[in-house]
Amino acid sequence: MAAESWLTKFPEMERADLVAIRKGLDEAYRQFSRSYGDVIEAIFDPLLYFLVWFEKLLLASPWWAIILVIVALVYGASRSWKLSLGVVVSFLGIGYFGMWDNTMRTLSIITVCTMLSIAVGIPTGIIMARSDRARAIITPILDIMQTMPAFVYLIPVVMLLGIGKVPGVIAVVIYAIPPVIRLTNLGIRLVDKEVLEAAAAYGATPWQRLMGVQLPLAMPTIMAGINQTIMMALAMVVIASMIGVKGLGQPVLKSITNQYFTMGLFNGLAIVALAIIFDRVSQAYARRTQRHMEGSTDV
Amino acid sequence: MNFTKFSFVVVFSAILASPAAAAECGRVTIADMNWNSASLIANIDGFILKHGYGCDAELVPGDTMPTGTSMIEKGEPDIAPEMWSNSLKEAIDKGVAEKRLRVAGKSLTDGGEEGFWVPQYMVDKDPSLATIQGIRANAKLFKHPEDPDKSGFYTCPAGWNCQITADNLFKALKLADNGFERVDPGSGAGLSGAIAKAFARQEPWFGYYWAPTAVLGKYKMVKVDFGTGADSNEYMTCTSNAECENPKVTMYPPSLVETVTTEGFATRAPEAYAYLANRGFKNAQMNDLLAWMEDNQADGNIAMEHFLKNFESTWTPWVSAEVADKVKAALANM
Repeated sequence: MAAESWLTKFPEMERADLVAIRKGLDEAYRQFSRSYGDVIEAIFDPLLYFLVWFEKLLLASPWWAIILVIVALVYGASRSWKLSLGVVVSFLGIGYFGMWDNTMRTLSIITVCTMLSIAVGIPTGIIMARSDRARAIITPILDIMQTMPAFVYLIPVVMLLGIGKVPGVIAVVIYAIPPVIRLTNLGIRLVDKEVLEAAAAYGATPWQRLMGVQLPLAMPTIMAGINQTIMMALAMVVIASMIGVKGLGQPVLKSITNQYFTMGLFNGLAIVALAIIFDRVSQAYARRTQRHMEGSTDV
Repeated sequence: MNFTKFSFVVVFSAILASPAAAAECGRVTIADMNWNSASLIANIDGFILKHGYGCDAELVPGDTMPTGTSMIEKGEPDIAPEMWSNSLKEAIDKGVAEKRLRVAGKSLTDGGEEGFWVPQYMVDKDPSLATIQGIRANAKLFKHPEDPDKSGFYTCPAGWNCQITADNLFKALKLADNGFERVDPGSGAGLSGAIAKAFARQEPWFGYYWAPTAVLGKYKMVKVDFGTGADSNEYMTCTSNAECENPKVTMYPPSLVETVTTEGFATRAPEAYAYLANRGFKNAQMNDLLAWMEDNQADGNIAMEHFLKNFESTWTPWVSAEVADKVKAALANM
């Protein structure tokens, strides 16, 4: 056999060097976690307290009160009796099949994740829309967040913050936030230049133009982004349960390990029910708040 | 590996091996199971049998069930170096009774070990933490990750078999009365991640784990003594049973981990068989080797070289002085 040449075999790195790099990076990360872990954990403490408080609130409240509040929210947002009735029926079904507590846990964590994603995502999207340089920097980061396999960043997050709710929320937000950022950016950029010029001609400040013209006109696109974010957050529930987040993901994980087909299906359906409720309500709300725009174009 | 050097070693050792020994031992197949410790032992056996006893040793892929069944039914492969016998106890007993199999000895002398563990650095500070009474008295140390008023016990991930035993023991030990609450890590990675985090910051940690594992090699932990010893009967009938109503406290009985060979091999090569009967690892040492493998991304073959070169005092007592010299000579040529 001829001696190996770089023509026939890829000139790859020495194994020892590769191991050295890996060990070096691991050690650096461990050092980082050792020195700053406590501080970072302390920063997230308020979030943790809020998560625990919110979950306890949902778990401790009587089931009928929760259904009442949710139906009130649904009706307030959608003004649709059919949708409200559907929500009541699906929650009664979830409770009847013994998934109430887990559904409340998932509901609590998804609500917090969604609020967090919106609170961070919309301002980021606005920055991206106003500066091409910001867009050039943020876009590849969003690509990484959406495609990097979740377990790759779950383990460092666990080493930094331990297992439980906060690392779970971080993992979910990383995965779920890109749509709202992307679509906020897109929505604002699609606003007609002439409309903006008209607003400027009336003497509107940049802030007034943003709040009064760009955001309202971009709202349908932004709502589509929020909707996608909620869906992706719910899809992450099972992955998050792999680092100790309680909720509907845990029984799903359990049924995967043990091939409990029915148990997996029931809990999976409960996740789907939550997703559909979130989706329909946010869609209905968006449609209702934007109805005036359809009207104005007609006149 | 350098190809020419490797082939030289093979040819050279084939010439060196006396024809008589080769005729005795002949072709030997060793099951290379798909987890790290078994793969390491298989590679060590392969090297020692080939260079020390002149066997024509070959590793074949394996797994507990298929390898066990194939050894009983077809007499192939010849050696299963790390067989967790509890999982197919009846089949092995039957194979031994019918003179198809022979159990050479324990490959892990402590057996597979499960238990509730605390980090070594905590026990160094307060030796009482090595007992369940000490854990109870110091429950406040072990902070629950989500609830500051509670203490956390990291249990086995949901859906695993050990979840049943860990839950039953948690109940039997009445840890909830001391403010402990179970923390479900969700997955094996979650559990080992929680341990890694605790060790990086030298924080208190208390939970379920098992050996031999790379995790216990990297992170030195002490098994908490329940003060009851292991009651195999209680464990089989109640602790490992999800429906058990009134679990009692017992330590985990060690699971048997043995070297199993075919009868044909044992009669054909009694000297090589005697080596297998002697060969066994302590869990502490296996944990270290596994941790080394993980740190260096090493497979069984590389770890074998590391072990034979650096732990001579461990393996030389397993073989005669003459065989040890042959193996050392082969090592020097690698």
